[in-house]
Amino acid sequence: MSAYVDQFPAEARIVRAAFWSSFIALGVGGLLGLVQVLHRTDVVRFMSGADYYTVLTLHGVLLAITFTIFFLVGIFTWAITTSLDRGLENLRFTWLWYGLMSVGTVLAAIPILAGFVGSVDMSASVLFTFYAPMQAHPLFYLGLTIFVVGTWLAGADWFRTWLVWKREHPDERIPLPTFMVLTTMLFWYLSSLGVALSILLFLLPWSLGIWEQVNALLTRTLFWYFGHAVVYFWLMPAYMMWYLMLPKISGGKLFSDPLARVVFVLFLILSTPTGIHHQYLDPGIAEGFKFIVMTNTFFLLLPSLLTAFTVVASMEHGARQRGGTGYFGWLKALPWRDPIFTGMALAGLMFAAAGFSGMINAGMNINYLVHNTFWVVGHFHLTVGTAVALTFMAASYWFIPQVTGKRLWNKSVALWQVLLWFVGMTFMSNAMHRAGLLGVPRRTAEPQYAGFEFEAGLGSVAELDAQIALGGTLLFVSVVLFLANVVMTAVGDRIDDLPDNEYADTLSGADDAPLVLDNLKLWTAIAVVLVILAYTLPLLSIIDRGGVFGPGGGAFPMVAESLRLVVVAAVDAGVIG
Amino acid sequence: MTELEREIGHDEYDPIGTLALIAVYSAILVVMWLFMYFVEFLGNDLTVVGVIG
Amino acid sequence: MNIHTYEKLWLAAAMVLIVGFIATITYGSVGVGVAMIDDSEATLDPNDLGEDERFAEPRVEHVGDNEYEAYVVARQFIFQPNPIEVPAGSTVTFYVTSADVIHSFSIVGTNANTMVIPGEVATMTVEIDEPGEYGILCNEYCGAGHHDMEGLLIVHPEDEFDLEGEE
Repeated sequence: MSAYVDQFPAEARIVRAAFWSSFIALGVGGLLGLVQVLHRTDVVRFMSGADYYTVLTLHGVLLAITFTIFFLVGIFTWAITTSLDRGLENLRFTWLWYGLMSVGTVLAAIPILAGFVGSVDMSASVLFTFYAPMQAHPLFYLGLTIFVVGTWLAGADWFRTWLVWKREHPDERIPLPTFMVLTTMLFWYLSSLGVALSILLFLLPWSLGIWEQVNALLTRTLFWYFGHAVVYFWLMPAYMMWYLMLPKISGGKLFSDPLARVVFVLFLILSTPTGIHHQYLDPGIAEGFKFIVMTNTFFLLLPSLLTAFTVVASMEHGARQRGGTGYFGWLKALPWRDPIFTGMALAGLMFAAAGFSGMINAGMNINYLVHNTFWVVGHFHLTVGTAVALTFMAASYWFIPQVTGKRLWNKSVALWQVLLWFVGMTFMSNAMHRAGLLGVPRRTAEPQYAGFEFEAGLGSVAELDAQIALGGTLLFVSVVLFLANVVMTAVGDRIDDLPDNEYADTLSGADDAPLVLDNLKLWTAIAVVLVILAYTLPLLSIIDRGGVFGPGGGAFPMVAESLRLVVVAAVDAGVIG
Repeated sequence: MTELEREIGHDEYDPIGTLALIAVYSAILVVMWLFMYFVEFLGNDLTVVGVIG
Repeated sequence: MNIHTYEKLWLAAAMVLIVGFIATITYGSVGVGVAMIDDSEATLDPNDLGEDERFAEPRVEHVGDNEYEAYVVARQFIFQPNPIEVPAGSTVTFYVTSADVIHSFSIVGTNANTMVIPGEVATMTVEIDEPGEYGILCNEYCGAGHHDMEGLLIVHPEDEFDLEGEE
């Protein structure tokens, strides 16, 4: 055994490239987060309210899409190559998908950034959800499409590597890390199909002037078909880290390989037929459909609750092997001075809290109380903003030395960094949840109204704002410490006494898992059937009510007129369509 | 990576601490759920009701 | 596949929790009568609101004993009518549609909260007992002036309420 960079030097390069792309997005996105939090709470305002939405669009796209997905293609590449013990089949293909993802990001970012420049007739301040009939510049939709195609090819790369391995090892179980990658990619294919259809059939042609109108409810429903499953695309890599890394760092073994497989299978089959729970308060969708989707959503709690048990039991195994005792005393025997452990453990703890606020969101009628309020923002800063982001940062402290061959620059700074994130997020997220209960809206530049005030039962809106501003500032400091640490590590000297590239051993191993768990075709078929059951009737009903292109209404574009005119002229001349 | 005091195999390991932690967690979940649903939500003003036919 | 007894216990408890959550929501729907925003109204062309007898003139109408209907249009960046005025002790059904992009119609600090989607009409019936004032805001980003989009719901004491145009 040796470090990853020595085992797979060529693959380590691609993982490094993916990580740096991810960290650049984290740095820019984090800075924009600070700008927003100070603007919203009226601590520092140096831009117009309109610019706030451009900042928010970029913050959302860079952190939710670029930071998370670039990081996860890095660790998925690591997981496939390490657990199959073989390199990728064709590195030129690998660099192709990395290139597509990068080009897509840049193309989508150009019109967003142009929103800041009044003299450029181009903009895409449509936020991460880009709901029609608000219209972005075609480049925005095109960039997103190219990015998603890049991730599809990445999945093909990993599947191909696995298939070649399988031919050589016909009777072996799929190694757990590979199993996790493959199941995650399968539901990613299934769910990203929705947004791809929405963009390619409707939004992109519409932004080019080929369609005159689109159905706002239909494109919104297709977005959420993808929009909820995408959160599991972010979350599954974090789960993977909890299953593969936490037990080992705790000094123990993974409690159960079979249950880890069950969890990933459940996510494969249940993560997509749940998207309508983001539309509980949408007119045009019958209550019955909403109820069915709620049932699916609540059953999706099951794999997360199982994960909580399996991962904590694995940590406890480590703690007891290290001499821990008692009902709760064993917690003291865990390696709390290790930033990798502490970061991931705190991320998991925050995810437990997020589970609660998520249940409220998922509860069909209680959703009236919190829908589109600041509560929701508090919720997803615990999930993607902590369970995922903090896990990724903590994991980086292990991965960066592995893929660069260099020693982590400063372990104490790393420990402070993860603690600071936890404290900052506690302030910010808790106050966001409370503000949401008062009715403070999300996605609003200046939630200070002329005609009324929010009534706080306990404390005051000013106190909540202060906590949010403080928390946001601490989070930004944490991002800076993180980036400083990884950059300083990267510029350091190569060492040759790195720990080996390995992941957790199991107490109950793959041999205990029924063979059917590895039948990916079966689970994919079930997932497809569930999606068809959950979505056919609502989609048909929406189309039946309003037509494929909607009952009417204009576009509300922020688009380059010149490009539009060229396309309109081309359509008229019969060149296109 | 760390100094182990003892090796605990599969058959001799009972994750009683995990069970205890998770019991505490679910108790918190249930209490907070009931509070949110019956006090914060149903106790709130202007609840949307079925159309009076 | 051997699953540890404790994990089996937890699996069972988790299922009980999940079923319990769904049961609570079902109780809210069936027992308390909380209705969801649904698809009861036909679609309409947002460019032709002027030809729709409900939305050509956004207003509050007295339709029965203590029953009122409010026809509300949300557009960048106002609500019409504003303010919305109703008496206490009444049942009010809001019909809300959008003249342009997606908005929301959210009565601040209450459970009355709906998305407003162009082409669709959201309906929402609430019982209003006490006199008072509520803010109304849009909680879905709808453009550069989104944060200025607000309105007011004024609930008058029953004996002081006169609807314009009514004898």
